[in-house]
Amino acid sequence: MSARDPDDLLRDGGGEIGDLYRRLPRYEPPRRLDRAVLNEAARAVHSGRPPRRQRWILGVGSAAGLVLAAGLAWRIGHEPMSANDAAAPAEVPRVVPVQPIDEPARSRREMPARDAAPPSAAAAPPPEQQRAAAAGGDRSDQPKPLRKQRAESKPAPQPPQAQAPPLPAASPAPKAFPANEHEAEQAPDADKAKDASAGIAPAARGAAAAEKRAAAANALGRASPTLPSSSVELQRDMQLAPSDWLAHIRDLMQQGRRQQATESLRLFVRTHPDRRVPPDLRELLD
Amino acid sequence: MGSEKTDEELMLAYAGGDLLAFEMLYRRHRGTLYRFLLRTLRHRADADELFQDTWSRLVAARERYRAEAKFTTFLLQIAHNLVVDRFRRLKPQASDEEAEAVFRQLDAPEGEQPERVLTEFEQRRRLQIALEELPEEQRVAFLLRIEGGLGLDEIGEITGAGRETVKSRLRYALARIRARFAS
Repeated sequence: MSARDPDDLLRDGGGEIGDLYRRLPRYEPPRRLDRAVLNEAARAVHSGRPPRRQRWILGVGSAAGLVLAAGLAWRIGHEPMSANDAAAPAEVPRVVPVQPIDEPARSRREMPARDAAPPSAAAAPPPEQQRAAAAGGDRSDQPKPLRKQRAESKPAPQPPQAQAPPLPAASPAPKAFPANEHEAEQAPDADKAKDASAGIAPAARGAAAAEKRAAAANALGRASPTLPSSSVELQRDMQLAPSDWLAHIRDLMQQGRRQQATESLRLFVRTHPDRRVPPDLRELLD
Repeated sequence: MGSEKTDEELMLAYAGGDLLAFEMLYRRHRGTLYRFLLRTLRHRADADELFQDTWSRLVAARERYRAEAKFTTFLLQIAHNLVVDRFRRLKPQASDEEAEAVFRQLDAPEGEQPERVLTEFEQRRRLQIALEELPEEQRVAFLLRIEGGLGLDEIGEITGAGRETVKSRLRYALARIRARFAS
């Protein structure tokens, strides 16, 4: 055999050098490594969410949070309009007025004018609501008990400052949300009319509205639309095919965005551990 | 006993959530991977660290594994990438030119080569030393061939070198090992 010919090594078993190699000590990994590896593999399976998906879920979750927040904000922003619609005559026929049997005839004659607020009769409001209705002659005052009820149904009762935002100051809600919240609070009549048009469980509706606003606040607070751009870009990079991803990293380098290129390459290595890093990009990992 | 599942089948089963499949796969390859790392890095602490890191990355990437890729190649590719990272932080290895000097020693007739008379213990010791002294690329190629059982194309795929380059590295590695026996 020529010393320059590697065919000996390429034979089954590696030839005589291979034989000699197999007589070297057969080192094995220590047991602690076995345990660590097997535990990690088990954790990955039992978590039910593989690491790769977790990363995707992070991105998808952020996007879903934004969509949810935007949807809720839009919904809350449009509630007054739809509530006004509910108060419009077109909504009136949906509510069947129920009159006490012994109501005076005069009240019956006034009935059409009170159609917009049927819960006072149909849903048998609590006594305090009835008292408020009796005390206030103005129709616009009628829903106040409903509003109060809604406020009471909130998890954390508000301090006397009625115009203060309902969220704790610690909540990092963007400016847009308090505006919507304020707007929603400033249109109680509309909400109340809508509640009235539903004709059932105003307290539950108030609770639902409070929860909805809290959810919107949380969603806006957590999934702020001002996500770090690098994070968004990295998520976008992960969707690229490996070769395209590497090309994109080179583009970043050419654009002078070395930090971004480094972060992207590190993520590439984690995402595709079986892919070689091209020599021209390896310096980024130093 | 039924027919044993291939590595690729086990890996796919693990990707589907079968932990027993992973344990079987791990038992099959733990020794090979560990020895490859230990003999490539030459330090047990480094080998331990990269051994765990290799499996960790394999676990993380299990959903991207496709059966077209031979499992051993997949595993050793991950390990090799980590080794390259590790070596990159160290000093560059000696150049291949040193091997040329070695070849001259090997031109002696076979009968005169002293390996014939070495005891087995001494042969193993010299092989171990020779492996440690091999330049990184040659050592990796040698270990992927002998320990991993990979062919030229697979080694080339892992190391990013052409078939002829791999062959050349193996040739140099063999020459250096033989030179160690001759010295």
